[in-house]
Amino acid sequence: MATDNRINFWRRNAKVPGSVQPVYGAQHPPLDPRLRRTYPKDTKPKFNNIKTKKASSFYEFARSTNDAWDIDDEEDEEFLGTFNPAVSIPPGLHTTSSIQNQVATRFDFLSVSIRYTLQKQQSLPVRPIIPLVARISDQNASGAPPMTVREKSRLDKFRQLLASPNTDLEELRKHSWSGIPREVRPITWRLLSGYLPANKERRELVLKRKREEYFRFIEQYYHSRTDEHYKDTYRQIHIDIPRTNPLIPLFQQPAVQEIFERILFIWAIRHPASGYVQGINDLVTPFFVVFLSEFVTEDMENFDVAALPLETQRNIEADSFWCMSKLLDGIQDNYTFAQPGIQNKVKALEELVSRIDEDIHNHFKRYEVEYLQFAFRWMNNLLMRELPLRCTIRLWDTYQAEAEGFSHFHLYVCAAFLIKWRKEILSMVDFQGLLMLLQNLPTIHWGNEEVGLLLAEAYRLKYMFADAPSHYKR
Amino acid sequence: MSESYDFLFKFLVIGNAGTGKSCLLHQFIEKRFKDESNHTIGVEFGSKIISVVNKMVKLQIWDTAGQERFRSVTRSYYRGAAGALLVYDITSRETYNALTTWLSDARMLASQNIVIILCGNKKDLDADREVTFLEASRFAQENELMFLETSALTGENVEEAFVQCARKILNKIESGELDPERMGSGIQYGDAALRQLRSPRRAQPQGTQECGC
Repeated sequence: MATDNRINFWRRNAKVPGSVQPVYGAQHPPLDPRLRRTYPKDTKPKFNNIKTKKASSFYEFARSTNDAWDIDDEEDEEFLGTFNPAVSIPPGLHTTSSIQNQVATRFDFLSVSIRYTLQKQQSLPVRPIIPLVARISDQNASGAPPMTVREKSRLDKFRQLLASPNTDLEELRKHSWSGIPREVRPITWRLLSGYLPANKERRELVLKRKREEYFRFIEQYYHSRTDEHYKDTYRQIHIDIPRTNPLIPLFQQPAVQEIFERILFIWAIRHPASGYVQGINDLVTPFFVVFLSEFVTEDMENFDVAALPLETQRNIEADSFWCMSKLLDGIQDNYTFAQPGIQNKVKALEELVSRIDEDIHNHFKRYEVEYLQFAFRWMNNLLMRELPLRCTIRLWDTYQAEAEGFSHFHLYVCAAFLIKWRKEILSMVDFQGLLMLLQNLPTIHWGNEEVGLLLAEAYRLKYMFADAPSHYKR
Repeated sequence: MSESYDFLFKFLVIGNAGTGKSCLLHQFIEKRFKDESNHTIGVEFGSKIISVVNKMVKLQIWDTAGQERFRSVTRSYYRGAAGALLVYDITSRETYNALTTWLSDARMLASQNIVIILCGNKKDLDADREVTFLEASRFAQENELMFLETSALTGENVEEAFVQCARKILNKIESGELDPERMGSGIQYGDAALRQLRSPRRAQPQGTQECGC
């Protein structure tokens, strides 16, 4: 009886149940994506009305998320300039002028290697053809609009925060929630993960000390990988590394594979309660790619890491290790014996879905689909197996801006992700079909726009349920 | 759905990590080697209809993760499996030594009657072989398993492994040794079989003892 009442209550008040309160850890959401649609272009004056302001921040968010791996060196500028005379680059704008980004954004799906070929052919594709293999460098696969003046000011805001003697982390989180501009992502990730201190003066020193510390671990422990006690751990890591991101050439390079092996082995022996569990290897990837991006101006997936100075390689490795460790500290029970963290989250997902979309929930029941059958991987690999890498990187901007982003907000993202496929799910009327669908969701073309909408929906769900956790329990 | 079949069998693919379980499944379903495969997390799922002794059999295949830590999750998928491919890597003694554990897990959690075929995979890497055909064959005999050496790379014996296992299950159904009606048998009737069952002569499907057809 009580349950029935509650269900009805939730249905009727689907929009904002209970009291409207700030949600812990989700202070800086992108706002309702629907508002974005009606919001006119840049021409708006300053607003004092909260609603418009919110809309603007989401708009900003959508705009700002087409940044990432585009290229901004002069060579490209020149090349693209001559290439498309209609777009002229104002002189003196060498870094991140909006126009340059506009051009670069349209081109960032192309690797440098084929750029010159295209130049010869004198053909200019209007919309990128989404490659079969999702490219790391292609953060704008969905063809989102180009960078605006507003986006430029957004980047300036980040630069300003980062340059202050004591970075206001709260403020940095607020701005990061809706996506971090590519140019400042590495430093911002280091700060948000808690690896770097807010105090600017201390950063250099901390970096130096932590990097040295990591390499002392290597000296001290890495040789023990052949010991009887650790050889199983090492062997498992060793066979998994070549199977990590198997479609991206970058990760097939021996230098890169060795970096991953060292990071994972050291982490594993320092965390005996979980040890190395498959899936953790995936979690190194976004950090590695983001920290590498500081040094790569061409297409990342074919970049030869061994060509970087050894010092640089080592810094990327150490930073990836520490940031990954910080992430894992928050979700260690995902990987300890019997994986209780995952079991609980899958249960919570089931409860949540039964509340927010009874049709899907009953459909699963009817065809005997269990949540664990598809959502285990969603939790174990933080959706990395379900999304292209570029989307994971964007997702992690927000996870790191949220308190408990990886351990808690992820649940709402998973729920939003499931509901996203509502139509496809409900049209599948047998167990086999449902499972095949759920383990091969067609996200290959996804870019920042899709992730942005997903996050907005996840935020809405969290807003509905976070201040009333018992509401997603039956 | 348009596909019609007589029976549906639930199958498991189990064995240590890196033995090629997912590649066997992929080769079986897609008829090609998946050289860019990533390791399995939890369980992955495949399905294919094959023809075995004039019956259309739909295999519902659960490809499980091999790593120890996932065992508590993968075990939950064992229940109600009719058949299993137990996979080891002929170039790794360690994966062979683990077979006993896998076997007792399967028999305990799936069903006493589960039909298991032992697959010595990576047959193409004969130069690196650490487990001989003879000793594995003896192990199979002692434990009442069928046995094949397979290669997910070349496709050798891959289809055979699934077909032989399915055939054995069919034989057991026909001989009455296996009762598809029993809960957790891992066997379901398909549309075609149901039509047959509804015919007057077989109005009482519970009386499986007389099913000596």
